[in-house]
This record gives sequence, C-alpha cells and structure tokens, in this order.
Amino acid sequence: MTVTNAQQTETKRCTLCPAGCELIVLEDGPDNWRTELPAQNVGGLCPRGAILGQLLAHRKRLTFPAQRANGTLGEVDLDGAVKTILAAAGDGAITFFLDGNVPVEEMTAVSAWCGAWDRATLCLVIEPSDEAVLSGVAASGAAMLSNADLAGCDGFLIVGDAFSANPTCARPVFDRRAEEARTPIVVIDSAAGRTTKFASLPVTTPAGMEYQVLAEVAKAAGVEVAATGKAATAVAAGKALAGCRRLGVILSAEYGRSAAWKQIGFLAGTMAKQFGGGVAVETTGANALAAVGLAGKLGAISLAEALSGDSTRVALGCDVLGMLGISEPKFAAAAAAFANRTTESADVILPVALSGEIGGSTWFVGKGMVSVPALLAPPAGTLVPSDVVAALAKSAGIAEPTIPTAAKELGAIEAEAPGEAPAAPEVGAPALLIGREAMHSGCGDLTGYGSWQQGDRPQSVLRISPADMTDAGLKNEAIVRIQTGDASVEVKVQVSPELTPGAVVISDGAAAVRALLPSAAGAALPQKVTLIS
Amino acid sequence: MSNVIEKRVLTNLDRCIECRSCAAACHVSHAGMPVVRFAMSGVALLPLICRQCKAASCVDACPVEAMVRDENGVVHRRLFRCIGCGSCARACPFGVLPNETAGVPDQVRSTDRISGHQIPKCDLCADRTECDPEAVPRCVASCPTGALSFEDEHQAEELGITMMGGRTTGEHPFKRR
Repeated sequence: MTVTNAQQTETKRCTLCPAGCELIVLEDGPDNWRTELPAQNVGGLCPRGAILGQLLAHRKRLTFPAQRANGTLGEVDLDGAVKTILAAAGDGAITFFLDGNVPVEEMTAVSAWCGAWDRATLCLVIEPSDEAVLSGVAASGAAMLSNADLAGCDGFLIVGDAFSANPTCARPVFDRRAEEARTPIVVIDSAAGRTTKFASLPVTTPAGMEYQVLAEVAKAAGVEVAATGKAATAVAAGKALAGCRRLGVILSAEYGRSAAWKQIGFLAGTMAKQFGGGVAVETTGANALAAVGLAGKLGAISLAEALSGDSTRVALGCDVLGMLGISEPKFAAAAAAFANRTTESADVILPVALSGEIGGSTWFVGKGMVSVPALLAPPAGTLVPSDVVAALAKSAGIAEPTIPTAAKELGAIEAEAPGEAPAAPEVGAPALLIGREAMHSGCGDLTGYGSWQQGDRPQSVLRISPADMTDAGLKNEAIVRIQTGDASVEVKVQVSPELTPGAVVISDGAAAVRALLPSAAGAALPQKVTLIS
Repeated sequence: MSNVIEKRVLTNLDRCIECRSCAAACHVSHAGMPVVRFAMSGVALLPLICRQCKAASCVDACPVEAMVRDENGVVHRRLFRCIGCGSCARACPFGVLPNETAGVPDQVRSTDRISGHQIPKCDLCADRTECDPEAVPRCVASCPTGALSFEDEHQAEELGITMMGGRTTGEHPFKRR
C-alpha cells in the first residue's frame, strides 16, 4: 500500500511527546496498522512515532476486563470488575491516578466526577522530574519556547540529553550553528548523552551535580547566584553565554539524576530572561505542561501524597509503579492499553484507550492550545479513562455531574519560587545514571511493544569510561550484571570515552531499569552500583 | 532513459544525533525488511544508507540478475529473482547491504517464505518518490534534525556543501559544512 492510497491520508499528529510530529495512520492488512510519513514531510518522526501505528491494533493489547483470583487472571465483565473495585474500597477513599498526558477534556471530565464523589480524589501522573522542572520554569516567569522560537536564538544552554528526549529540538540549534559557526552551545549532562557530542562548550558535570554546575555557569555569565565560580569548564561556558542577546535554554529533566529539578528550572528560566530568551522543556509525555498547569485548578493532589495515603488506588492509563521503579503500594485496579508493572500488581485490570485514540485538545510546549484529532477509534469495548471513573461512580450511586464541554484554558501556571537547592548527593563510584533513548518514551513499557524497539536492541547497554572499565577489570562488550539494592539487570558493557570517570550509564529502555533507582516519593538519585562480571 | 540518478540521500555528519529515526521509519514501512543500517565510526554512530553507486558492485555480483538499475538510475532488487545468497552484501564496498537475510536479526525476521530469505535493498522508497516528484524517501522524511537530505549532488557548490568521498565508487555520500 502506498501513501497516495486514497481516503486514509489525513495528516494527524503523534501524541507521544510535545513535538507533535505529523503522521498518517495506514491500514497494512486486516486489523493491522502502521504509521506513515506524509510524502513531503521534512519534520521528522522519531522511532517512538514510527511504531505508534503498530500499537493501535497490537496483538498484545488488553481488550477485556480481567480479575485476579488465587494469582491467576480470569476474564470478567465490566460490571463484575466495577463491583470488585468498589468492594475493595468499602467505605474508604478512592484515588484515581490519571495519566497526565491525556487530552485536557479527559482531565476535566475525571475531575468533575471526582468533585461530585466525595470519596474520590484525582492525581495527575507525569514524570516527577518533569513536574518539578516545569514548576521551576513557571516560577521564574520565563517564556516557553517552541522549536520555531528556538531558531531565533543566538546561544543555547542545554541541561540533560534534550536531543534524545525530543530529537526535533536539535534542528533549530543546528540551523543556527550553520548560520553562525561560533554560536555557543553549552551542554550540562552528567551522563554525556548524545547532545554532549554537539556541544561547543561541554561542561564537566559529576553525577547528581546538575544544579551546582548550572549555578557555576550562571554566575560566570553574570547572574546573581551562590556559586564558587572556580569550575573551569563552567566559567568558560558562562562567559560565552554572557554575550547572547537571545538565549535559548533547553531542559530535559532526567530521571534519577538530581533532587533539584525545580531549582534548575527556576535558575535556567531566570538566566533565559536575563539574556532575552526563553525555555523549551522537552517533557516525556505530550501534555505534561497542561497537567502541571491544571493540577491546582482541577483539585488534583500530588503523586507523593496520593501514594502515601491508605486509599484504594486505581491507575488510569499510567504505569505508576514502572515509572517510579517501585513495587509498592498495591493498586486495586489498573486500566491500561498494555500490560505493565502496575497491571501486574493490580487485582482488577481494565482495557483503556491510548492517548492517541482520544480526540480532543491538548497543549504542546510553547504553542498554546492545539486541537489534536484521534488517530483511530479505540478497539470495540475499550473505555476512555473518564468512562472508567463514571462507571465506578454511577455504580456507587453518584449522579452524573455537569462536565464542561469546552477545554479549560491553561493560563499562567501558578508556582512559587523554590527554596534553596538540596545539597548534592554523596554517591560512591561508580554512580549509576539512567540515560535517555530516543527510541523509548519514558520508562519504555509502552514503546517497548514496537517491533523496531524489540528487534534493534534486545540487550541493554552500560556505558562506562575507559578508566572505570580498566579499574573494574571489564572488557568492552562483556556481559555484566549491575545491582543496586535488591534490583539487578544484565547489560552489555560499552566503552564511552566521552563519559566522566565515576559514573556509569544505562539506557532508559524498560521499567526494569528504573527499579535500579526506585523512588516512591520525590526525586530518585544516583546510587553506587555493583558490577558483577 | 538516462540511467543516471538525479538525486541521492546525503548524510550531513554535523547533524546526525543517532536517534535512528531513519532506520525505524524504514523498518516499519518495509514490512520487516529494513535497509538502513548503522555503524560506529569513532564515537559517532552513522547511518549506512545505499549510495546508489554509478558502478554498482552489487549489480555485478548478483548471480541471478536480481539487482538491476532502472530507467531512473536507481538500483533495485527484483523480489522474485533474489535467492538470498548474500553475494551483493559481500560485494558492497561500503557494508550497506546487510549480511543477514531480511536485514534483521533472527528474532524479528519475517516468517514469510519469500521475504524472510532475501537481501533487502534500498529503492529510495519508489512507492513514494515515483508517485510524487516532491516526495522524499522515508529515511529523509523522518530525520528530525535535517541530517539526511535528498539532493542533487551536482548542486552542491550552489548549496555551499563540501562533498566527501569523491574517490569512492559511491561518490559523495557525505557532506559537511
């Protein structure tokens, strides 16, 4: 089948990250779909978007409600599943963990049901580091930039491996560099990811020290901030940025890297404002900005608060346990499109639509409100998250509330300036870091179902500096087991000369990786890791 | 029938961020027979995309004339002629053609009796480019950074591009600022 085949060539948008790349969903056989690029596309579609079409009718999609009894899952009908969940809740509270990357209409609908049901509470789930950095940037008052806005910048400060988080943000940086070869590109990334290779001024960053290094750069650039001003690479980078008239800051909040993402967002935003620019935050999910902006307006509680309470927990479209690398607390029910760590622990499992199957409005970073049509209708009998909440509420005798038909405006995000940054963690060497992969979204359990992801890199890779590899007595491409606490993963060693000694990096490819740096509440931090040959 | 290729896929080494979008787009749309491969060159992971050589070794090496050059100068593999012997892969001086039949590891190889035992070959996404003169191959369309482009190499001077690899059979597969 060619892309010129009629009727099905309506251009849509990928819903896996804020880039919103254009794509077409094509039928590639009976109930078999694939993602295609528009014929004259030059906008890109990363490996995540390439497999989005496959996910829509994947043979491993959850298609019917199931209930666990004596450790075995058995099919039940929706009514039976609803009764089991309500029976588990008794007269106690229920907390709904809604994926924060669904369209805004879904957020407002679930919020309306939770408002009408006094036992129900809403929590919008996004990556904790994304939430912190977005709050910090909002508190600084810096403008949010889109890729088009970045093209007009004359210098770039990049924190984290932003090019892997959202490959499209690299194009405006390269376009600017092609125009002016001396454009400063400063990269702060302790894992020395792919973005570091393109830095004109890479800054030496020890594990967990992102904020401290950013402060050194900011001070050298002339921003008022507490720092020693002695780190040579940071001082050189700061002086180079001091001459910018429009500074583009690109932030990618990395999991398990720092406890100071809010302070990083605030300081980076302050710096961008001082130099006439703005900030682009390359979040993991497509609608994280809306989730942060609307959480307060919708009465949502924080993830840490939701996890620490003793309410009955219901996950709606998100993999809370996989995302945080934890196995507790237990979830009474989990609604998901594919099996994940949270559905594995839940007693009741419900099929739910993917974000791309829910039409509505959404927000992309720096672009305001954008309407995104559904890629395809969800499989027959598959509910959207608000339908799950409605079914539970109605069964509990709650009358249907008035659900707003228009999406809530995002408006200005209300956030307070963060306090002093926490001290940098003292991590013994080698410190384990988790690095981004362009082919995976977040903890990777969703995109891990794509045929490309399964075939291209079945073995996780551990990047290690040549000095550390020699000290540990390892050889390039050797298979080792790495362990932190009770969790361990088998990986292939890959020597990485650009990596600072003292840190080893594993790709963020599956929830099993996050179990190496678990965090039930707050930020996960680098840990000393044991390498077992 | 000019038999001279007008446009090639060029790789700008200054822009490739190793995201492998090109390979993923190729994999998904070619029914499990991807033709974009990668190789480490120092610390850079570079895409290996068929250079559509003027003197194509793969055409000469094919014992069953499965590899042919069409009227547009593009080297194609004829589906029902290929016997998966791998002669073309060994003959390719750039290692672009995969040694594995179907171009993929065993665990994801097509179980189809035909496509699972053939050597994949880039045809510059003929299903797109033959229908629409403005269309570009999928690897180029998917490239988020502009590292891959579909250009007439004879316009390199006008575009301010320094071509590299002029002494090789493929002629100018890469470009730099």
